[in-house]
Formats: sequence, structure tokens, C-alpha cells
Amino acid sequence: MKIILHSIFYIGMLILLTGCWDKVEINDQAIITATAFDKDDNGQIDLTLQIFIPKSFSTGGTGSPGSAGPVTFITSQKGDNIADALSKIQGKLSRKLFWGQCKVFIFGEEVAKSGIGNHVDYLLRQPQPRERGLLFVANKAKKVLEMPAVLERYSSEGIKEQSKLTTGIKVTLKDFEEMLIGNSSAAALPYLKISKEKQMQGQTDKYAHIYGTAIFKNDKMIGKMSERETRGLLWIKNELRDYTVTVRVNDDHGEISLNPVSAQINLIPKIQNNKWTMIIKIKTEGSIALNTTNLDITTSKAIKTIEKAYQKKIHGRVQLAIDLIQHKLNADIVDFAKKFHRKYPKEWERVEKRWNEKFPEVDVVIDVEAHVKRQGYINDSAGRKKSD
Amino acid sequence: MNKLFKSSKKEKQQPPKPQNVLQNNIDANIEKFRSIYDNCADVVFRSFLIFEKKLAMIIYIEGLSNDERIEESILTPLIKNQDHEQQPFDEFLYNKITVSKINKVHLFADCIESISIGNPIILIDGQNYALSLGLAKSEKRAVEEPESEAVIKGPREGFVESLSVNTTLLRRIIKSPALKIKTMKIGKYTTTTIAITYVEGLVDKTLITEVENRLKRINVDGILESEYIEELIEDNPYSPFPQFLSTERPDVVCSNLLEGRMAILVEGTPFSIIAPITFFSLLQTQEDYYQRYIISSLIRWLRYLFTGISLFLPAIYVAITTFHQEMIPGTLLFSIASARETVPFPAIVEVLLMEITFEALREAGIRLPKQIGSAISIVGALVIGQAAVQAGLVSAPMVIVVAITGIASFLIPRYVAGIAIRMLRFPIILLGSSLGLLGIMLGVIAIAIHLCSLRSLGVPYLTPLAPIQKSELHSVLWRNPFWKMDKRPHLTGNYNEYRQVQNLKPRPEKGGES
Repeated sequence: MKIILHSIFYIGMLILLTGCWDKVEINDQAIITATAFDKDDNGQIDLTLQIFIPKSFSTGGTGSPGSAGPVTFITSQKGDNIADALSKIQGKLSRKLFWGQCKVFIFGEEVAKSGIGNHVDYLLRQPQPRERGLLFVANKAKKVLEMPAVLERYSSEGIKEQSKLTTGIKVTLKDFEEMLIGNSSAAALPYLKISKEKQMQGQTDKYAHIYGTAIFKNDKMIGKMSERETRGLLWIKNELRDYTVTVRVNDDHGEISLNPVSAQINLIPKIQNNKWTMIIKIKTEGSIALNTTNLDITTSKAIKTIEKAYQKKIHGRVQLAIDLIQHKLNADIVDFAKKFHRKYPKEWERVEKRWNEKFPEVDVVIDVEAHVKRQGYINDSAGRKKSD
Repeated sequence: MNKLFKSSKKEKQQPPKPQNVLQNNIDANIEKFRSIYDNCADVVFRSFLIFEKKLAMIIYIEGLSNDERIEESILTPLIKNQDHEQQPFDEFLYNKITVSKINKVHLFADCIESISIGNPIILIDGQNYALSLGLAKSEKRAVEEPESEAVIKGPREGFVESLSVNTTLLRRIIKSPALKIKTMKIGKYTTTTIAITYVEGLVDKTLITEVENRLKRINVDGILESEYIEELIEDNPYSPFPQFLSTERPDVVCSNLLEGRMAILVEGTPFSIIAPITFFSLLQTQEDYYQRYIISSLIRWLRYLFTGISLFLPAIYVAITTFHQEMIPGTLLFSIASARETVPFPAIVEVLLMEITFEALREAGIRLPKQIGSAISIVGALVIGQAAVQAGLVSAPMVIVVAITGIASFLIPRYVAGIAIRMLRFPIILLGSSLGLLGIMLGVIAIAIHLCSLRSLGVPYLTPLAPIQKSELHSVLWRNPFWKMDKRPHLTGNYNEYRQVQNLKPRPEKGGES
């Protein structure tokens, strides 16, 4: 009996006295939703945080959500490095910063050009920031966070959702680090652009969206890819979900647009007689989205013509991307290095140190096989009459 | 354990124990009886002359014995003068008394026992025995649907307080003479009759001997309910989980008897207890077997899910919102944060406040009159919750969590199991609030270890999961259709394997021909 009483006493004390050392109430936390890193003129880093404002549904119980007031607010501070800037920001706030929900990290172009390796080191070393947070590059990162949200509740959520739709590549913190320390030591991040659009009633809406890719070599940004070239890059990386390819057939005035149904992309490295080749094998099937030509797409002849044009178009896009990556920028963001390393480890060891010179010499062969799978609900073109 | 028994025995007073045998002199007998039944105003002493010659007295307890039958079967035929020279007195008497059960008793103790059951005894001058007649009558409740175990489809009979009616109900379902009913009397003052029922050939013999030995050890003042017996013979007295299944329905008892278990019925209570059981028997109802097997399987899974919810949901909510906020999806976290802005308490205090209030409402609802009981407890709880949210005492997500937990605990079919789980919820909340998800895992491990070590009359509690029996797993995971239930559950060792002919699935070829 005594033993039982004693154990209850001690266990009870244990629970009450330990103080639950990691306990932080939700209301004592400032939830960070996005982070922006900029460089200011003195070489200091300008850290901007987007923090969520919890609105209380006080009176009425089921008060109208989103009634008045913004959902997030911005705070920024300059410092020598991230840790320094963070502690200064913490000094301004009434709640403890919480990184666990921050899914968007945006680097300004200047920071990117001078190397983001240090900042990524901070983010990876801390336990709280998410390794699955997405990285972006923008011209002026702070401005992106200051944008009002158009469709989503706050602007960073809009950016995050957009990256899911693969208009550009999607790179998490973990992916980025893997790319940097990988064989090719080159990485790519999606690039954000701020566009203006005139709305009704004389308003002009500004919003940020993904437009192109920023290319990094050894953690410094060396160049950009435009949106067209990014498409080709997406092809090679097998990250396409939705695209529209518009082709012109023969001498017809109209156009045919195709949407993807499926795509299989293989990168096959080959070394023959000391000649290094990479074969990009693309096998895709598309369905016709728009047909304004006179072609009768029920005949196999017409389908073959369309397929040929389709192939040519895809080939052109991939070629565009490869030219930029291989020759102009010389950054192996498509990770040919890894493929060669896996298949030909001995040869790879020999050229490992000189990959910068070897990479432009790799002969890239693009082999596209494109088919048309479906043609939509109607057969003939609805816009043009057959007699035209 | 034994210490608890011994201490209670020391202070008990022994009831008077008449040692003697009845004597031939009726006056001595009568005086003894009068002294025993001193100050018992409901004991009737009626003296009369048998055949107008011999003095006799009938002693019975008013209300326990059938007065009209006494008058018509005993007094009327015996008072008149009759000639009995041809036969001995005993035989003649026996032929005149038109009662179906007559016994001769010689000891005072037996006479008292028979009077207390309601069988009147007749003392006859010059004979050293008394006649005990089976004329007991008592007020019995009508057989009606048990309230605690109502079903939508199935028999609507429930046990009543009288043991004879209950055993009759069993016999009506299992008609074979293999259904054995052994009775014992337990309790110094109450001498409650209990009946051990089992089907010979299906049950393990050692089980019955073990149960009888345990029952013989019981030495208490009185047995009022089957719970007394259950707590006195169970394997693990300290466990919150019940090791016997208590039920009010004869069809539940019979289906368990047919699977090789045994049941104990107690006089004076409609609840019988069944052993050995497993944890999963507590999560199953008879209705599973009265409806189609697909829907029964799905509902079984629903029950498992909600048992888990009833046990863990408040603790997980507290643990995640206090320690692991990064696990919550962003939008949900923002809603919770917004809702909790006005609340002054930390999450743990909120949870405990709401849970204790809910439990209090449940307990109060038991004592409310039936018509308004359920309406008040559920609607009242929600209204109170809404008002509390508006006053800023608790947050809306907390009300939802507590409401779902409460509803989940109603899904557990056996009340005793539901209570055990409700009780265990609180230590797990405390663990979750102090140590986060790690604390909850600690609690899970502790409960799992405890369940694995429990035994119900020797059968491990988590059979067929804990010692895995692959042939039995189907009854845990889903409900097999009847044409697949060929084998009996393997409870305690040697058993009668097949309970029905194999290949009974209805098919076109087995239609009606041949």
C-alpha cells in the first residue's frame, strides 16, 4: 500500500513539475508563412517575414471570416546574416517566431548572384524550417511578399499553389541542397515575376507568378531561362503535367493545339569510342484541344501529319533548352552527370574534376515519338467550313 | 487478496445455526420455530387437525407462498375426517395432498431453508419429519426487451430477476439435454442461488471445475448482483477492463454457450456473466450476426475506429496543438489559432474542463426521467458548448473534439467496456499534454502491455490477435457469412472442431432437389 501511494505521489509530481519544457501555446506563436531574403546596398542581408494574423471570431461565435483586415503582415529587418536579422525581428514581435508552417522561401536576385549557400545552411541546420519548403528567386524578394493575394488568402499561398501546377520547376529546400552537392553542382530555381493587370474600375492589380527559371552554379546565380526555354527544361526533367503545344501543319492557315495525356521520358547515357552521348527519349501522347485547320482528323494520313509536326515542335523546344543549358550557361541542371556516373563509373571518375569542360562536349540526341490519342468531342473543325 | 476476505469475516456475526433434528413432539418443534422467527411478523403459524385427529401446523411466509393453493391443496383435503385404516399414515397423507413437489425434511436448517424460499412446511405431531411443499410464489417481472441492449432486428426477450424463468428461457433456445445447469448457493445471509450453465461436449471440462472451485471459495454476506461474483472470481482484479461479459439477453448467452463458453446466472438479477471472453467480444454485438455480413463487417470497422477516437482524440488534439503545430495543415492551423485567441486557458485546461463537464452530463442523464433524458443531455451539451464558445471560455474546435469523443464512446456496445475506455482517456490526456505525442505513445504502450497480460479465466485477453490464431482472425476483422463459419472458436484446448457441415454456401445446385 505504501509503495502505491509513494509511486502515485512521485509520478504526479513528475507530471506537474517538469513544466512541459517544449510547450508553446498556439496563441504565443507568430506563424511565419513566407520568408524573403534581399541584399541591401551595404552588403547586409535584409530579411522579410510574412506572418499570419489570427483573427478572433469573438462576438457572434460564427462571425464572418475574412471580414475585415489583412490575413498577414510583413516585417523586415537588416542584419549581418540570417541569424542576426532574425534575432532583431524577434525583438520587435510579441510572440515567438514559428517556422514550422513556412513553405515559401524567396531569394532576391542580388542575394542569389552572390551565393545563397550560407543562407541555405541556416535553414537546413535549424530543426524548425521545413525541408519541404519551396525555394524561389525574384528580382526584389520583398516586393513579392508585399503583393496582395488575388485568389488565395495570402500571396505566398498563391505562389505555393502555382508551383504545384508546374508552369515552372518545383524545387524544395531538400532538392536544392541535393542538386548543389550532387555530381553536377548546378541547380535551378523557379523565377518569380511581378505583373500588372488592369482591372475594372480603374484598379491595377499587381501579382506575382512563376515565369522562367534561375540557374545556379556552385550556389551562385549565373543566368536565367525564359519561359519558352523552361518548357524544354520541364520536358527533360519529366516534370510536365499540363502543356499546350500548338503546331501549324503544312501550308494550312489554321493551327492545332494538343494537350498531353501521357509522357514517358528517359535519359540514356552512352559512351562509344570515347565519345559521350546522351539520348533523350521522349514518348508522349496528346489529345487535340483545338483544331482550326481543314484537315480531316479522322483519316490516318492527317493524324500522321499532325504527329510529325507535333514531334518537330517538341524537338525544337527541347533543343532550345539544351542549347541554353549546355552551351550558353554551361550548367548541368538536368543532371547528366549523375546518369553518366551511374552507368559508367570508371569513365566518370576520370572526368569528374573537369565536368565543366566535358559537359558542353556531350552530344545530345533528342528522339521524340509523339502520337495523337484523342480528338475531343467533335471531329471536324467547327470554325471553318469544308469548302474553304 | 485473501487478507481482504479474512478481515471482513472477523466482524461478522454468525446467524443462528440450529443443529437439532426435528423431534416427535410437535410442541417442542413449534417452540423452536417461534424462537427462531421471533419478531418476524410475516411468518404465519397455522395449526389444524389432520383428519380431525392429529395436530399439525403449517408454517409459511406470507407473500412468498401461494396462499390460495395452501388453502385448496392442503387445508381443504386434510381437515375433513377421512378413514385411513388400510394404508399407513404417510402414504395416505401423500395421496391427499395435491401438491406436485413434496419433500420430507428432518433438520431444522433444512426447514428454515425451505421456509425462506417460500415452500411451506407442515409439522405433524408424532412424526420426526416435516413436509416441505413446493408452493412458492413470487412477484415476477414480465419478460420484456432489455433496455440496455436493445436491437433493431432480433429477439426482444430479456432475463428477469427470477432464476427459474431465466433457466427456462435458456432451455427454450437450447433444447438439447446437453445443456447442463448446475446450481450453488452462495452468501451467508442471502443464500443466493446461482446457476452455472454450459453445454457438455462443447466446453472444456477443466474450465468448469476451475469456475466451481473459485465459486466455492466465495464466503460473503450476500450476493446481490452478478457483479459481486464477477469481482470475486476474476483473474485480474486490478484491471479496469471487464473479464466477464455481462448481458441481459438469452440469445447472447446461448450463442456464447454454443461456442464453448460458460455462463453464470444469479438469482435476483437479470444480468448473467459469461466467460472466458476476449477484448473483441466486448466490441461486438449480437446484432452483427442478425444482419447481413457485409454491413456488419463495415460497422465493425467503424466501431474499432471510434473506439480509438474515443480513447485518443482529445489527447492527440492537445498534444498536436501544444507541441507539434507543424503537423497541422496550414489552413486548419490558422482556423484553430483564430478560434483560440479569446480563450484564456491553455489547451490542457480547456480539454479537462470540457471532458469533465461532459462526463458529468452523462452521469446526470442517467438519473433523468427517460422521456426528457436523452434530449436534455445531448441538446443541453451542445447548447452549453455553444454558449461557452460565445462567452469565450472554450474554443469551437474544442467543443467539436469533445462532442465527437462523446459520440464515439456511445458506439462501444458493451457499457462496461465503454466505461473502461472513458476512464483511460484521462491519463492519456495528461500524458499527451505533458509529453506530447511521445507521451501518448507511452500511454498506448502501457495499455497494450496491460491488455496483453490480461486473462479471462485463463484465455489471453487479446486472442486471436495476441497469441495469433490465423483461423480465428476473421472474427476480429470482419464477420464471416454463416456458410463460412465451419469451425468453433478455439478457446481453451481440446475442443469440438466443426460446428456445422462444410460447404453450406447457398448455390443453385443445392437448391432444393435431392
